[in-house]
Amino acid sequence: MMRFLQWLHRWTSLIIIIQVLLWIISGFYFSLSGHHEMSGHQYHQMDHSHAPLASSRALDWPQIANQFSGISGVDLRTVGEVPQYVVTHDDGVSYLNATTGELWSTSEAMAASLALATYSGPGAIESVTPLTEGSSEVNGWREPGYRVDIRDDLNTRIYVDAASGTVIEHRNTPWLLADWAFKLHFMDYSGERNFNHLLIVSAGVVTLWFTLSGLILLGRNLARGDMNPRRKQTYLEFYQAQQQPIASACGGGGTCGLCKVRFRGLVPSPTKNDRAMLTESDLNDGLRLSCQHRVSKGHEVDIAATDARQIKLKLVHNRVLTPSIHELTFLPQTESDFNYQAGQFMQFLIPCRTGNDAVVLHRNYSFATAPGQPELTFTVRKMPAPNTSCEPGLGSTYLCSMKTGDTIDAIGPMGDFLLNNEAANERRQVFIGGGAGIAPLRALIQAELESAQSNRSIQFFYGARNKSELCYYDDFMALQSEERLQYHPVLSEQDDHWRGLSGFVHEIAQAWIQTQDVQSLDVYVCGPPAMLAATQSMLRAIGVPQEHIRYDDFGI
Amino acid sequence: MAVKIASSRWRVWHRWLALIVGLQMVVWSISGAYMVFFKLPFIHGDHLVHQHDAVIQHANHVAPFNDVLKAYPEASQIQLTSQWLNHQWQPVYRISHHGMAEIVDAQSLAVVELSQSDVQAIAEKIYALGEQPASQVQWLTENPPSELNPDHLPVWRVDFDDFGSTSLYFSPSTGELVTKRHTFWRGFDIMWMLHIMDYEERVDIESWLLRGFIIANFIFLITGAVLLVYTLRKPKPSLKTTTEGSA
Repeated sequence: MMRFLQWLHRWTSLIIIIQVLLWIISGFYFSLSGHHEMSGHQYHQMDHSHAPLASSRALDWPQIANQFSGISGVDLRTVGEVPQYVVTHDDGVSYLNATTGELWSTSEAMAASLALATYSGPGAIESVTPLTEGSSEVNGWREPGYRVDIRDDLNTRIYVDAASGTVIEHRNTPWLLADWAFKLHFMDYSGERNFNHLLIVSAGVVTLWFTLSGLILLGRNLARGDMNPRRKQTYLEFYQAQQQPIASACGGGGTCGLCKVRFRGLVPSPTKNDRAMLTESDLNDGLRLSCQHRVSKGHEVDIAATDARQIKLKLVHNRVLTPSIHELTFLPQTESDFNYQAGQFMQFLIPCRTGNDAVVLHRNYSFATAPGQPELTFTVRKMPAPNTSCEPGLGSTYLCSMKTGDTIDAIGPMGDFLLNNEAANERRQVFIGGGAGIAPLRALIQAELESAQSNRSIQFFYGARNKSELCYYDDFMALQSEERLQYHPVLSEQDDHWRGLSGFVHEIAQAWIQTQDVQSLDVYVCGPPAMLAATQSMLRAIGVPQEHIRYDDFGI
Repeated sequence: MAVKIASSRWRVWHRWLALIVGLQMVVWSISGAYMVFFKLPFIHGDHLVHQHDAVIQHANHVAPFNDVLKAYPEASQIQLTSQWLNHQWQPVYRISHHGMAEIVDAQSLAVVELSQSDVQAIAEKIYALGEQPASQVQWLTENPPSELNPDHLPVWRVDFDDFGSTSLYFSPSTGELVTKRHTFWRGFDIMWMLHIMDYEERVDIESWLLRGFIIANFIFLITGAVLLVYTLRKPKPSLKTTTEGSA
């Protein structure tokens, strides 16, 4: 929802920002000028004399009634100093000179004096121009008349209607500027100052979405405390800023459970996410997720994983393992005594430019081999773009396009997805994995096979979409033929040439586990989120003890 | 996260300006949208009354203008028109003198005094939203409602019990319709008040309160524009939205 609002706010702003700017500028112009300044009436004076009508008339009612049909009103008034009848009838409005009884006519000289009578400024008449079709400066007036130009500081011009002798309007330079401001403000460039047309209604709709989405986003920021100036960093943000080795796959969402720290002395009460990701004994030991707690003076905090440090890795081999997974092999550059345990991972620091900003992305990848070799091997799944409007994963794209000799920084080792090597553990070792989850399981299986003192039997259930996505298929088939483990590859897509197992890997594993004593198994699980969740609920349902299950979360 | 993002400073400014002055931008957009969405003639209430151009009746019995002028030598303007009186359109002269106006019968030139029921009859005659009697007729001499310009006092107010709570205001001396008000006009008036930020008189557009908010919103808009440029040039949403697996 909030992502949609951000998207909406961004795109509506892109559409409407120029017009909003014009509204602000023209609105500011209105506010600076004021009504009077914009009216064109700075030098306009009204006739408040209430001079009595002249009494000499050649024409009167009912003769007027004989000249027109369907009269609805007759108005006797004074124009200049001459009485005038305004007759409203079926065919429109007629103006008559009451003194002569003729149709009214306005001469240039008369127009000039009528105009001057409404003018209170310092200027004198410069020119009188006859007009045949009114003026574009007077909206709706398209009749013959005169333009009387006055020589003054405002360039005043006065429009006089010829048929009626009426002074139509005063116009001047400030009015012209204001008219442009109105055009911009009302988006009506015809000069009619109409603000109910389709264009501005559409603009109003877009603007409403724009401002209301902004309002809701602001409310969200306030509710989250983003704007509290005294808000402290979380410990995760703190350690990441300090370049300290701390793992996080979900970026501070409290859902990956990797960013564990240990509080001593004063321990903050666990949050909902703490409880979801940590066991009761972890919580009692003072372990918390560092993304859930904010830096405070009263705390004494240690990063739980103490072996981890930042090292530089040089790529020595980059090969395509399956259509979607690359195998990357690195040599540590800065440390000769680098050590890790099977099942652990490194956090890669991936440089990334977004616009003008340099950003470092943190991405976690598990070791794909047991320790003991100088090289460090990882498998990286290229994240495809989820849809066309979105680009593929930045981190995986960067890593997969690295060339031999390139270097990258990484922090580690981290993680506690390790073999269950407690004393006198003779339980069968069951590994369940899918897709890119191969790496830590392969390392664990290698370590178990290499272990001199252990002789536990190994079952490996591994699911992939199709045969080409089965990582290290030949290696595991070879181990199976040597009877060192039982390998159960499972394909989820239909394949007529495949003579092995088909379906979901957790269902195949379930069929086998149900034939076993669930107390005599250790289960290790790693794979995509949906597969992991399905496997966890399957194991719970058939009663494998929680303390015998270990899993590695992709952290999404 | 390790490297500070340059756009974040703009974002902080954008958020704080949003809180301090941006809310007025929301008010402007809502009030502006109201004024744009409802057509101005509707707001003015042009649909509330019929335009009556009744032809002058009994033309042969209407007295000439000259007689009116003899009776009112100070008149500055004389209009022959029709007024709804006694259930019919009657010709009347509307006479302006010394800035005042009155009406006289166009045949007898007797002054027409409009009673409350006369005004109510005129209102019901011109009211255009169906045949219905006025719900209330009031005589206002002081303390006008805020929707009425005090210059119009004293005035008759005729209310109709309809969807828009229509009120028609009439001049007591001439029976002319002075102004018309309904719910959407009243809403428009409030929106206008919010738009120009003059919460008392609803006319002053030159206040420094308004000017200050306009300038501040200009700066607010610039911070938003800078953020827009940053976001559009960015090939990918920010760090937190990209989550990839560990494997």
